[in-house]
Amino acid sequence: MRWLSEEKARRVEKRFGEAVAYYRTEHTAGLKVKKEQLKELLRYLKEREGFKQFVDLTCLDYPERKERFEAVYLLYDPDENERVVVKSSTDGTLPTVTDLWPGAKWAEREAYDMFGVTFEGHENLRRMFLWEGYEHHPLRKDFPLGGYKEVELPSLTELLHGRTDPPSHDFELAHTRLPTLEDLERTEKARLKKKAELVLNWGPLHPGTHGTIWFLFDLEGEKVVQCDVILGQLHRGMEKIAENLHYFQFLPYTDRMDYLSAVCNELAYVETVERLLGVEVPEKARYIRTLFAELQRINSHLLWLGTGALDLGALTVFLYAFREREKIMDILEGNAGYRLTTCFLRIGGVHYDLAEGTLEAVKQFIKTFPESLKEYHALLTRNRIWLRRTKGVGVITKEDVYAYGLTGPVARASGVPYDLRKLQPYAAYDEVEFDVPVGEVGDVYDRYLVRMEEMRQSLRIVEQCVSKLEKLPKDAPYVNKEHPAVMPPREDVYNALEDMVKTFRLVVHGEPAPEGEVYFAGENPRGELGFFVFSKGDGKPYRLRIRSGALYNLSIFPKLIEGRTIADAIALLGSLDPVVGETDR
Amino acid sequence: MERELIESLLFTVLKVLVVVPVALGVGAYLTWFERKLAGHIQNRMGPTVVGPFGLLQPLADALKLATKESVIPRGADRPVYYLAILLALVPSVLLLALIPWGPAFELGGRVIKPIISDVNVALLLAFAFGSLSVYGTIFSGWASNSKYAFIGSMRKAAVVIAYEVVLGFSVLGVVLLAGTLSTVGIVQAQIERGVWFILYQPVAFVLYMFCMLAESGRVPFDVQEAEAELVTGYNVEYGGMKFGAFPLAEWYLNVIALSAIAVVLFFGGWSGPSILGPLSPYFWFLVKTFGLVFFTMWLHWTLPRFQAKDITDVAWKILLPVAIANVVVTAVVKYFF
Repeated sequence: MRWLSEEKARRVEKRFGEAVAYYRTEHTAGLKVKKEQLKELLRYLKEREGFKQFVDLTCLDYPERKERFEAVYLLYDPDENERVVVKSSTDGTLPTVTDLWPGAKWAEREAYDMFGVTFEGHENLRRMFLWEGYEHHPLRKDFPLGGYKEVELPSLTELLHGRTDPPSHDFELAHTRLPTLEDLERTEKARLKKKAELVLNWGPLHPGTHGTIWFLFDLEGEKVVQCDVILGQLHRGMEKIAENLHYFQFLPYTDRMDYLSAVCNELAYVETVERLLGVEVPEKARYIRTLFAELQRINSHLLWLGTGALDLGALTVFLYAFREREKIMDILEGNAGYRLTTCFLRIGGVHYDLAEGTLEAVKQFIKTFPESLKEYHALLTRNRIWLRRTKGVGVITKEDVYAYGLTGPVARASGVPYDLRKLQPYAAYDEVEFDVPVGEVGDVYDRYLVRMEEMRQSLRIVEQCVSKLEKLPKDAPYVNKEHPAVMPPREDVYNALEDMVKTFRLVVHGEPAPEGEVYFAGENPRGELGFFVFSKGDGKPYRLRIRSGALYNLSIFPKLIEGRTIADAIALLGSLDPVVGETDR
Repeated sequence: MERELIESLLFTVLKVLVVVPVALGVGAYLTWFERKLAGHIQNRMGPTVVGPFGLLQPLADALKLATKESVIPRGADRPVYYLAILLALVPSVLLLALIPWGPAFELGGRVIKPIISDVNVALLLAFAFGSLSVYGTIFSGWASNSKYAFIGSMRKAAVVIAYEVVLGFSVLGVVLLAGTLSTVGIVQAQIERGVWFILYQPVAFVLYMFCMLAESGRVPFDVQEAEAELVTGYNVEYGGMKFGAFPLAEWYLNVIALSAIAVVLFFGGWSGPSILGPLSPYFWFLVKTFGLVFFTMWLHWTLPRFQAKDITDVAWKILLPVAIANVVVTAVVKYFF
């Protein structure tokens, strides 16, 4: 994947003259534009230069500048496989781009929520994750890390027994205000103006929502007239946390975003940081990463299959899927020590060398898994009820894919062969063979077939990784510990003085990263998981933006569900497969 | 005269005292069986902890449900809320009155029919009870003051209206062949001819099975429950034993009763080779009934679920015309041959 080519940049500069400035950094290239010309430039890029896919939109905050916010747009040209960054400074207002890319709707709301930037012309500029009535904007640099200590929240012990001396708990009593029931009611009212007979609150705690998403369905009988989604129940301020941690310290947080594909998240994150820091990764580590990322993809798709089928009433597929998942979980646990939030990868390599017997266990899995896949196909693929529930439901066109910034299996099911493992190879993906399945219609059934086939392709990759790892010498390095930013392996820390000192230094001071910006995305089971890192030369990122595939994929849900029934909603949501840890971050 | 009346009343009460507790007990134990079956279908063990093979599990469940706190939602319509439980349970139990478990036999000079009430419009009554039990679902959805329950019960209403009609038409063929609406009469008609009606009426049987699944809310027709969409739908606001009553009535008693009626209509009731002496009719009847119950559960743990609109679609556009054609053809054939 390239960044904006010189030739195109010159063309743009010629057309827009003074207002646009081309810039190129080590990892990115883009255009800086005055706010007044921003909309025009974006329209030009979309319509004339082929940058029709919306990738992401976010902001940066420089409190010392007069125009303190810098908006960052990220676009992609699918024909030329080219990305571009568009930046524009503002003191608080920007034109909306939702008429160009409807997928920017939620991104703009998020920027409004987190930075307080208003987008003129946005149809419903509400807070994205926080509740109505909350007056702060947390990602601004002047927002205190500990929050505003506005209200006292005593513990239950204190309520029952009163204040004691010494206090029963050693945490602060004063906290940032929490949303009350009235706040939530106001939030709900603000999102949806009732048009039809009955508003159904679907969630936040509902087994069909696959997490804590809050859907509002305005129903006419069983038909959904309009729908809105209230996110934020799982919002933990990941991006704010990242700004205050050393690069390596943020790694465990990535596990907790899309918790079903922890290794893939880690992979996307470490690859980004390695590009910024310029860390070479040893061959063995690359293959171990690929192996586990693909196992994790199978694992994640199996959970999607199980819960998706469970949603449509096929109870048995769920447990069959979990049977296979258990085997993968065991392999992960044997290597990383954890099952779900593995924290297995490290900047510069992986945490541990392959555990003894791993390859045998994986080979056994490779042998048995095709049979299980056949079983799932036998239960569902030609089942008439299954076909009736999935065919023609939630059809996503190619135009929708570009306009909404859809990625991953959702995009591929609509016939867009957007697979970052092919387009922008990382880890060992350019050294293994696999095919990218694409769908034709783009309905729920196609998304089902694409994911099923992806599992088979992942198995192929796993097989190639295993045979490669078997050939590599046993004592080949699995982490590049020469680089100053890389944590040495644990056993070295205990046995060698230099390594211990290095660890101390890294933990206490962190390794400063070179100044600059980098955007890198990994192909996650839920789409493109991108990390946009802006570094000012410290050991901590100045801003770390997480581009969530699940969030963008979910953003098309309200459009697709209009005019369909609740029963379709569940099939559709299952096929978009959001994980709330990632949508909310 | 008076003595006869008292005697027959006494016998009826005795039969009720035998059938109802046994049926309720079997119904409860079907939960154990279903969980075991589901477990083995899904590569699990099913209940194993309480008693040998988990056999005491239903008792433990009942104990748990009975000791739960009773929570009734604010704004619930209380009389209707309780009435719903009765309306779900009573018709399912009443259905059992119409099932002939075996042939008449003599005991101390008295002819005893192992059926609680052998009325000549038994089938009509059976379907009337079946329709009544739907009110349980609808009332529970309405009285709970919950949108989920309400949507679930409305779905059920739509499904039942569609399937009642098909059900009625599907059994008409058998009624035409047997020339009677009495359940005992239908069985005897099959025994006299030495053939089960499923051979003459295979289409009707398939239709009947569809309707039976829809009536009892089993997969693939469990739209009113649909735990992923409606969090078990119409009974979501019921707790403890009040909650337990609904599946017991719908999933177990109803399925037993409707399977038994299917056996009467299509599988020759108690007929079968005499392998256990005087007990063999009962044996055969129970085996056949249980076979159908097993089939229902098997489907439940294998198939996905339809949408409500698809179910009504299938019923009105496909099943009903087929059922009517079946009746017409049967009538014509019967008239000429």
